[in-house]
Amino acid sequence: MDFAGLLTDAGRELFAPTTAAFALAAIGLNFHFGLTGLLNMGQAGFMLLGMYGYAITVREIEQHDGQLFGITMAAGATVAIGFLVAIVLAVLFGLLLGWPTLKLRGDYLAIVTIAAAEMVRFLGRSQSFKDLTGGSTGIRGKDFKGPFESLSPFPDRQVTIGPFTMHGSVSTSWWLVVVSWSVVALAALLFWRLSRSPWGRVLKGVREDEDAVRSLGKNVYGYKMQALVLGGVIGALGGVLWSFGNAVAPDSMGRPTTFWIWTLLLLGGAATVFGPILGSALFWTALVIVKGLAAMFIPTDWLAPTQLEPFSLMLVGVTLMLLVIFRPQGILGDRRELAINDR
Amino acid sequence: MKAALDTRAVVRAGVILVVVALAVTLYSTFIGGAGSDSSRAISAAGATTSTITTTAINEAPNTPLIQAGVNTDVATATAPGPAPATSENNRLAQNIVNGITFGLLLALASVGLSLIYGTTGLSNFAHGEQVSFGAVLTYFLATSDKVSLPLIPLKFTIGLPLIVAAIAAVLISGGTGWLQNKFLWSPLRRKHVGVVQQMIVSIGLSLALVNLLQWWMGGGKLRLSTSIDTRHHWGPIDISNQTIISMVISIACLLGVSWFLLYTRLGRATRAVSDNPSLAAASGIKVDSIVRLVWILATSLAAVGGILLALYEQATSFDAGARVLLLMFAAVTLGGLGQPFGALVGSLVIGVVVEVSTLWLPPDLKFATALGILIVVLLFRPQGILGRSERVG
Repeated sequence: MDFAGLLTDAGRELFAPTTAAFALAAIGLNFHFGLTGLLNMGQAGFMLLGMYGYAITVREIEQHDGQLFGITMAAGATVAIGFLVAIVLAVLFGLLLGWPTLKLRGDYLAIVTIAAAEMVRFLGRSQSFKDLTGGSTGIRGKDFKGPFESLSPFPDRQVTIGPFTMHGSVSTSWWLVVVSWSVVALAALLFWRLSRSPWGRVLKGVREDEDAVRSLGKNVYGYKMQALVLGGVIGALGGVLWSFGNAVAPDSMGRPTTFWIWTLLLLGGAATVFGPILGSALFWTALVIVKGLAAMFIPTDWLAPTQLEPFSLMLVGVTLMLLVIFRPQGILGDRRELAINDR
Repeated sequence: MKAALDTRAVVRAGVILVVVALAVTLYSTFIGGAGSDSSRAISAAGATTSTITTTAINEAPNTPLIQAGVNTDVATATAPGPAPATSENNRLAQNIVNGITFGLLLALASVGLSLIYGTTGLSNFAHGEQVSFGAVLTYFLATSDKVSLPLIPLKFTIGLPLIVAAIAAVLISGGTGWLQNKFLWSPLRRKHVGVVQQMIVSIGLSLALVNLLQWWMGGGKLRLSTSIDTRHHWGPIDISNQTIISMVISIACLLGVSWFLLYTRLGRATRAVSDNPSLAAASGIKVDSIVRLVWILATSLAAVGGILLALYEQATSFDAGARVLLLMFAAVTLGGLGQPFGALVGSLVIGVVVEVSTLWLPPDLKFATALGILIVVLLFRPQGILGRSERVG
């Protein structure tokens, strides 16, 4: 691999749909953790649930020749219904998670969310629901991507813009780039507006001192629940966008994925508007650069190509530790607005 | 300081055991037919299986034991009359034994997790990696295949006997506990880094360690012992030599830890720190050295658990501990966060539930069942079985 190729690959990661999907999931987590101080360790579960909701709905509609309850659906309507199902599932999951845990101490929420996310994954990859979720292999892209890709205004061939070549509308495409970053922009705008609204101020109050907010007559439980559900919905949207570029794969949405989202949120800066976006872009670019440089400079009998992946992910773990210890506010954050405290 | 064990807690644990026992008895009497009937059926089926096994062995003297086992399975499944009920009973008994075994192994790991939580307030997400580390290190020391260390282009064979390797691995794991405490957790505590922040650090550590282990050993299954295991058939229960040895070792370790916690000065001090660190410090207990001891103890126990788990599951891998981490948390939460004896009871409950649930649910959902229990427990009894009822939150 040469430097120019590596730089192009790294540059592609800056705006790749995966980066956008993780930025979106991190914005969701930012509502939980950055604004409200909730330790949601199950964001990957929200993502997985979202992509199941979308993919299964669209697949079923496609299998009935585009008909739902006998009404023929346009591609746009199919996509809309898929997104709607994903959102509804995320809302229900958030309510279910929040109900037992939001009255408890923070680390309980962490354990329960991580357990619930793993449960979603176990159920999804179980052979008993193979007809619905496709078992451990998941749902293939061609079963559910059709309607979304047919909406693309881009040509149906490889398109080169500058040094980057991608397909116009299929899978990881320019179409997906445009859609995902638009959604990210909308979510960031929503975060910016809401964090400055009276509602957002109450959430920040909950983060800083729950009892003080309660003594002002606010329903802390309700506010926490709203934040959990809203962030979860944004996470689910991130999951759907991620699955457009890949496929529905339960095992890529395990615990490590949640931890990556945490790492990139803390890297960019929690409780900031652009923190998740910057964090995601840096995270994925750095991963590509580290892998590329390691492949170039470390001899293969020291570090075999199969060991590159665990090696770079080990560095992610170390980064997370160092960030939390030495710079918990990340790059853009404000140390005074730090959500990590004891409760 | 509290009395040795809260009497109410003991009563509560007793009540739960009685309820579980009742449920099992009711289940076997109602689903498995009337009591006398089923016992007769068991003996009858036992007779058939044994005769068939012997005939099978007689017919083909070279048939390995495993095949004979297959034959008995077929025999019980196809035996006429009360056989279905019996096989159901057999499977229940078998699953309960498996569950207790698994629960004991889980307890080894979760007692340490609970002790760490109790003394430092840290929910240590990297504890699963300590479990895998013990097992992987034992493989590293014991295997006759060529192994290497990360970043060192040398391949060599160590090939120690399994027992020596296991002991060395436990000692080294204890050493990692000491190192971790000295260079990571103790400085963090001195800097007054919050518990939640420490928890996220442990998540980063877990992510780093699990990938380090994968880098070191690759993603495949690692077999600690290649010898073929002798299996015993005791009535309805089919148990292997390795399993018996694992159970004996884990019971011995757990008794040792209980004795240490209940009857030694250091153990009492540990429980005092767990109860109330500031009060313990004020009464002249060296909290820091207790915490150091707890880290060494917890990581060593986790390594023992990991090695025995590898023998029980016949193989280990870099993520063996990560897969049971949430079950450990479920056990610890079920028993009451920070209560070592609660973790023991919780582990047994989780182990039995996980194994028995495979009677009704597909086996790939057994971990999901345990996590479901965790969520239900938090709904109704967030302080766990043995936890004192206090406001958590």
